[in-house]
Amino acid sequence: MKRWLICTALALTPTWAGAASLDVIASFSILGDMAQQVGGDRIVLRTLVGPDADAHIYEPRPADAMALARADVVLTNGLEFEGFMDRLIAASDTDATIVVATDGADTLEDPNGGHYHFIDGKAIFHAGAHDPHAWQSIANAQVYVANIADAFCAADADGCDTYRANANAYTAELTKLDNEVRQMVADLPADHRTGVVPHNAYRYFTKAYGIEFLSPQGISTESEASAADVAGLIRDIRAKNARAIFSENIADNRMIEQIASEADLEVAGVLYSDALSPLDGPAPNYVDLMRHNAQTITQALSAK
Amino acid sequence: MLKYFGGASVLALCLASASFAHDTHNHDHEHAEKHDHDHGDVTLYRIFVGDHEAGKVTAFDLTEPDHRWSFDTTGQVKLYPVAGGAAVAAVQSDNDQVDFITSGISFRDHGDHADIEIADPAAAEKSLQGPRPFHVVSHGGKVSINYDKGGYAELLDEHELSHGHVETTRFDQARAHHGFVTPMGEYTLSTVASDAQVTGDESVPRLGLQAFDADGKAQGDLAACTAIHGEAFSGAYLAAGCKEGVLTATPEENGVAFKLLPYPADFPKDVTTGTILGSKSVQMFLGNHGADGLVVIDPVDEPQMRRISLPFRRVDFALDPAKAADAYVLTEDGQLHRIDMLDGKIEASAKITAPYSMDGHWNDPRPRIAVAGDEVVVTDPNAGVVRRIATKDLSEIGTVKVEGKPYNIAVTGGSGVVH
Repeated sequence: MKRWLICTALALTPTWAGAASLDVIASFSILGDMAQQVGGDRIVLRTLVGPDADAHIYEPRPADAMALARADVVLTNGLEFEGFMDRLIAASDTDATIVVATDGADTLEDPNGGHYHFIDGKAIFHAGAHDPHAWQSIANAQVYVANIADAFCAADADGCDTYRANANAYTAELTKLDNEVRQMVADLPADHRTGVVPHNAYRYFTKAYGIEFLSPQGISTESEASAADVAGLIRDIRAKNARAIFSENIADNRMIEQIASEADLEVAGVLYSDALSPLDGPAPNYVDLMRHNAQTITQALSAK
Repeated sequence: MLKYFGGASVLALCLASASFAHDTHNHDHEHAEKHDHDHGDVTLYRIFVGDHEAGKVTAFDLTEPDHRWSFDTTGQVKLYPVAGGAAVAAVQSDNDQVDFITSGISFRDHGDHADIEIADPAAAEKSLQGPRPFHVVSHGGKVSINYDKGGYAELLDEHELSHGHVETTRFDQARAHHGFVTPMGEYTLSTVASDAQVTGDESVPRLGLQAFDADGKAQGDLAACTAIHGEAFSGAYLAAGCKEGVLTATPEENGVAFKLLPYPADFPKDVTTGTILGSKSVQMFLGNHGADGLVVIDPVDEPQMRRISLPFRRVDFALDPAKAADAYVLTEDGQLHRIDMLDGKIEASAKITAPYSMDGHWNDPRPRIAVAGDEVVVTDPNAGVVRRIATKDLSEIGTVKVEGKPYNIAVTGGSGVVH
């Protein structure tokens, strides 16, 4: 049910009436930044999972459901990234357009590729579970931007020219950023391209830019590494000459510190995998996040 | 005591239909074919109903209630779905026993979908005995049962329980009382009783909630919550009712963070919350507040409590596990109300049973309600039926006759994929 009383009250608020036309929800901070870049001052944005917070384990609040109920557009990453989103949408009974930002992106399957069912003695493979961290490829981020612009245009035709212009400018900035990251990686010696991260969120980065990552955890921060996983990782670090180990803004880094100690490596810096930093941090927006990560990774791996 | 057939150490399973009794495997096969369970999407809710007078649990499939089973118990049961609905705990407080029944419906999560596996319900291999088992809490992969006159709780592994295996560990309390125990992160939370002398049937006063480590040593201070009663989890929080308000607890680095949310000044005085239900979809709770009120509790954001006044005294209430905004409450005039928890209002009402007065003993036979997909299932003890009420418009879809006085009710099942 739409909460018309609230919608009416917002529409009549003078400071909002002039500029903002769209009430937009973004599921997490990276997507929220992209939405703000495209929407500018024509949108009122609420981001559910904020800076330094982990969408894998977020617990939605009643205020989130109420915000969804009055939203025009709800932006999600999809690929099962936001485990809470379906139930939140159901709870809110929202009429908003639900946008899956990864639609049309070049996505990767889950590292396990899916799962088997054993029926009548035969193993039948079900593919389809995907790695959700698609924004770690800047080319995919450009798909996100295009999807956001399309959604805003559909919901607010009067603002479409603005959304398209903003999206085009932002896409051009992302192209420059993509080239910048490629150059940073190109400057690395070929045998200096393996690092260690707390959770396996960088497979799109690997595919796009050629840096390999080892990790003790599964695709989600909900899964914890076993002792056997850790022992195997130490062996892999030595076998693959992994040269740097990184912590993360959303992960419990005690495990990575233990691994660093056992592998005789120092933790080389903090990466921002699934969430922006606060405004006063090094990754308050997506462009800064990717630049910071690329710089941190390449500087650490280039060390002799 | 559960009846044993043929000396087998299992709970007696009495199949109501002879065609089921001959060959369980064939029954499964026919059942699957009839419902197209051999592949595709499957929705199946299985209802468990405890009788008010006889020691008996009746189970049936909601949409095909001729598929039914009967389990004999020692006494009147309160039923709790545990292990994600893979099992049902049948607590017989007056008979010092707890039995478990595997529901026959289990799910395996694969991220993008869940597989549903369907079998007949079955009694677990063994029962628990102890002095006055009462509150059951299912959380963190454990089920805990508090023994009010034993001064301890027993904890069971939910995964093992889902396979019918009953193995317990014990948590000892300083004094027996009507309380609860539950894991929270690496700690165990337990209610704590006062050491004040009591006489006769007087209850042991309850002081609050405290965290304990794996060795049973108290960690941190007691969180005061006078007469603590009623507990539920939602999201990262536990909530429990107190005389002063509602106590919340959530794990934090190196411990548990407690916070008492006082009843707002504009709430009716001298009434409290003693029963709380936790939403599975959105981090919020619904509790009773006095005889004719409910309270929506948000553990994080203001307003943290919103009261909903009911037109008559409350008989029972339940949450919709799938639609987090929706809750249902039956009042003593026989009306079922759908509550919008986000708006904090009654959204729709319909008369569904004859009146059941709340005067009299608390355990008199009165309806109990639960949500099963798009239906609210309501026991109607005096009519001897379970009523199936559509959540959409509160109209009656049908009734399922249940022998005796159907009383407490639990729902298991849901939707999944059969490959």
